[in-house]
Amino acid sequence: MGTATGIIKALNSGIKHLAVKRFTLRYPEQKLKMVGDGYQFDPSTGVGIAGYKGRHMLFHDHCTGCQLCSIACEGVAEAISMVKVQEEWKQNKKAIMPQIDYGKCVFCGLCVDACPFYSLYMTNDYELSSFTKEGLIYTPAQLQVKPNISQDVELKFDNPRGATHG
Amino acid sequence: MSSTPLPPGLQIEKVDERIMTLNVGPQHPGSGHMRIIVKIDGDYIVSADPDPGYVHRGEEKMAEYRNYVLNIPHLERPVIHDSCNVLYPYCLGVEELLGLEVPERAKYLRVIASELNRCVYIQYWLAIYGIFLGHSTMFMWPAGDRELYIDMLEKMTGARVTHSFFIPGGIRNDVPANFEDMLLKRVNYFEKRIKEYAAIFYDNPILISRTRDAGKLSREDAIRLGTTGSTLRASGVNFDLRVKEPYDAYGELDINVPTLKEGDAYARSKIPWLDMLESCNIIRQAVQKMPKSGSVRVKLKPNPKGGNDEVYKRVESGRGSLGCYVVSRNAPEPYRVKLSVGSFRNLICMPYLLKGEKLGNMPAVYWSLNYWPVEADR
Ligand code: SF4
Ligand code: SF4
Repeated sequence: MGTATGIIKALNSGIKHLAVKRFTLRYPEQKLKMVGDGYQFDPSTGVGIAGYKGRHMLFHDHCTGCQLCSIACEGVAEAISMVKVQEEWKQNKKAIMPQIDYGKCVFCGLCVDACPFYSLYMTNDYELSSFTKEGLIYTPAQLQVKPNISQDVELKFDNPRGATHG
Repeated sequence: MSSTPLPPGLQIEKVDERIMTLNVGPQHPGSGHMRIIVKIDGDYIVSADPDPGYVHRGEEKMAEYRNYVLNIPHLERPVIHDSCNVLYPYCLGVEELLGLEVPERAKYLRVIASELNRCVYIQYWLAIYGIFLGHSTMFMWPAGDRELYIDMLEKMTGARVTHSFFIPGGIRNDVPANFEDMLLKRVNYFEKRIKEYAAIFYDNPILISRTRDAGKLSREDAIRLGTTGSTLRASGVNFDLRVKEPYDAYGELDINVPTLKEGDAYARSKIPWLDMLESCNIIRQAVQKMPKSGSVRVKLKPNPKGGNDEVYKRVESGRGSLGCYVVSRNAPEPYRVKLSVGSFRNLICMPYLLKGEKLGNMPAVYWSLNYWPVEADR
């Protein structure tokens, strides 16, 4: 192949892309849809359930204050510390629950694997930025809240002019 | 006459008048997190001395203080774009130490995850190679198409880059429903997209004239200097651990290892692209042969202990053979973990390749070696 034809071919393949659909996801107007409600773990079978590893969710009515999540995280990021809570639950005599520092957490999900009482899961929430370091520390009360986010955009392949994000 | 003692204070090194020493890096975008000390005569490189070590993180030492499972999140850090492949030898090794048998379905899912990861890594590498050569379209396209597989891996593993997906004894979670359909759609589209790179990049006469015959590595030298991965295969040696020492499900798959004879920067930049095309084939085969249901992970005891044993396992990563040596001494923590990485092996041949090259060709030769500074430093 001659040099000229090669260059024309190269230019041509770029020019063709003027007609190709835009692939970019226009975040934050659009948010990609995740599978499921976040990463969960089933201690009875020892296998996780696929989902996004985002901000945690703590179920206060299950947590026993056993500290296993905090022990697991000690070897990873030391993001979990156990704090006193005011609530009284009969399964949680010590009244301690995990508090997570998202300035340290690496979202590995090993604390979820460590929890034997189905009380710590992860959610699809990944927008955790804050102006202060303290704002990154989530107390048990904050972790209890179910995130309310609309993520609905999916990759579409049906357009003959290329894949798009809807 | 005895030589007069040098005066105290600053001493000036004697230099040749024609030769100039340049420090490329460590914060130069054309070097990665490393320094290359090049001596130039005019525009030609007389000698090049790579100086890695700026991103040493102590991964191996850290592994001695954590148990076999908690080592996972930090051991994948050396190459986060290739995190499944970096963890692979460690998981294979620990499985042998603890005597775990991986379920059949997990073996195939591991192959799929590591092939997806290989493509994600190569696309990132290719994007940087493009921008090193001043071809900014070749930066945009791979960086965009990479998103297809990142998105797939996110649905599979729950994280975009640092997946923490492999675990001794299988994988962390089973794949979501509708997985095969999602995967095959992306693989087919991805394959179609990367085939378009040929016209704009690989068949482009400007790229060819820039990289043809630059940094030629002969077959003998490639073997003698111990290179691996794409650098070795671009010099005509057909060596790929996926075929030579098949691990997990690779033995049951039909793999055509791409090799080229030229051994120059062009061939070295083309092999990873051919690898990606082959990865698409491997993924399709794995999806077909994979058991449709079943367990994906054997249940581990808390704090599993290994015996008095040691093990060495290696896999083919995006940068060549990647080995992991694990020593266990009856404790929940490994006694020693040593990673032997492809990047560092490929760096060894760099001083030989750059000698006599033009300085402007240095990024083209350097990045074609498939070198990843963070991995080499661990
Ligand atoms: S996800 Fe990992 S780093 Fe984050 S709190 Fe859990 S164990 Fe710690
Ligand atoms: S979240 Fe789970 S592991 Fe952590 S203290 Fe509560 S019950 Fe224990």
